[in-house]
Amino acid sequence: MAVSRDDFSIAFRSALLQRGGAQKFSILSLTILAIFIFFLDIYDFTFVKKTRSIINDIVFRVSYITSSPSRFIPNLGESINSHLFLKKENEELQQVIEKYKSLDLNLEYLTNENRNLRKILDAENIINDKKHIVLAKVLIDRNSPFLKSIIINKGTQSGIKKGMPVTQDSYLIGRIVETNYLSSRILLLTDLNSRIPVTLGANSIQAILTGSGSQYPKLEYLPEEYEAKDGVTIFASGKDGFFTPGTPIGITTFNTGKYTNQVKLFVDPNQLSFVTVNIIRQNKEKF
Amino acid sequence: MAKFNLLNKIFNTGPLLLLYYLSISEIDTNLEKVFEIFTFNLPIIIIYFWILKRPSVLGTGHIFVAGLINDVVMGYPLGISSLSYLVVCFFSNYVRNKSVNTTIASDWITFFVALIFANLLFFSLLNNFSDVVISYTKIGYNTFFTLFLFPILWLFFSFYQANFIGGQDA
Repeated sequence: MAVSRDDFSIAFRSALLQRGGAQKFSILSLTILAIFIFFLDIYDFTFVKKTRSIINDIVFRVSYITSSPSRFIPNLGESINSHLFLKKENEELQQVIEKYKSLDLNLEYLTNENRNLRKILDAENIINDKKHIVLAKVLIDRNSPFLKSIIINKGTQSGIKKGMPVTQDSYLIGRIVETNYLSSRILLLTDLNSRIPVTLGANSIQAILTGSGSQYPKLEYLPEEYEAKDGVTIFASGKDGFFTPGTPIGITTFNTGKYTNQVKLFVDPNQLSFVTVNIIRQNKEKF
Repeated sequence: MAKFNLLNKIFNTGPLLLLYYLSISEIDTNLEKVFEIFTFNLPIIIIYFWILKRPSVLGTGHIFVAGLINDVVMGYPLGISSLSYLVVCFFSNYVRNKSVNTTIASDWITFFVALIFANLLFFSLLNNFSDVVISYTKIGYNTFFTLFLFPILWLFFSFYQANFIGGQDA
């Protein structure tokens, strides 16, 4: 029995302290170092924050380069196909352009009307100027099972701050949760940690859009008497002072979805290449 | 002879390069697009297998750095993946010290214990010291598929070791 205990303790100690060959450091020393780094990062000391920001920028850039083959190979087949059907596609696109030209006239009228109505509403935080928008490229889109976030190639250098809304083609996709000098992390609407105040329907019903970890976020805190309907467009309500009110997000799929109160987003979060960060001022309530 | 040595060195660094590549690149083992619940943790399998079978292939320092890089890319608190990888390393080292001959079945059982402890540490630290919310169901699926795929990858890595690297370390 004593021999067996000795045997256990020798193997245990050896596993923790053993070095040699490729094992330049013992597991014990590295564990202590990892715990030390972990707590330094958790308690957010200024110098750690700055160091992490620099490390992030470097690692994200290297990651972008190393991921290039994985991005190139799946797109290769698509590129060949698109070249083969170029003529047909061109004809189709010309038809689409004609259609949009006719719609453009109508749009101009509606834009003017919308602008005038917004002036009446005195919505200070609605800013659509190009100077308030930063176009950014998606550097890393690592589809983690636990966290749904992407990295973009613009950071505090371009005026990006935490909490700023991020859109693609004017559709809301998430918000900034981490900023570095040359890069930022966007928390997507599908992430379990995402909560966005939204409005829907003709009666401007208020609700919270909650990420579910799957492709479809859910609506929570709907009024009890609310009658669920499919195909209702969801907009950001802007109640939090971060998101621009009226930014479209998705449509309800209450009855057709797999789960209850699901929302189908207008933008597929797995297909993002370029996004826009809306550098708007935080709308502070004046009492 | 020199050419053979060079080739051998390149094959020897294969698992280490794969570990670094998985940590830093966009490539992941989250195959939710293929099957809704299918995700697994390949770095943990790599670490466990190679520390057990051929520790000279993966240095603990490299494992520690790969963990740090993974944290940066994924947005986890720094050091958390390193700790989880080192727990796997410890279990693997312990099993290697205690056993003479291992089989796929014995490795699978000991891997299960290592995986449970590594995940337990990872998610309890994340839960208690960070604001990040994680779905427990997904943790369960991830653990299950990692365990489920271990024998397949064990056979693949054994084949790689037998054909490209050579016998076990002393």
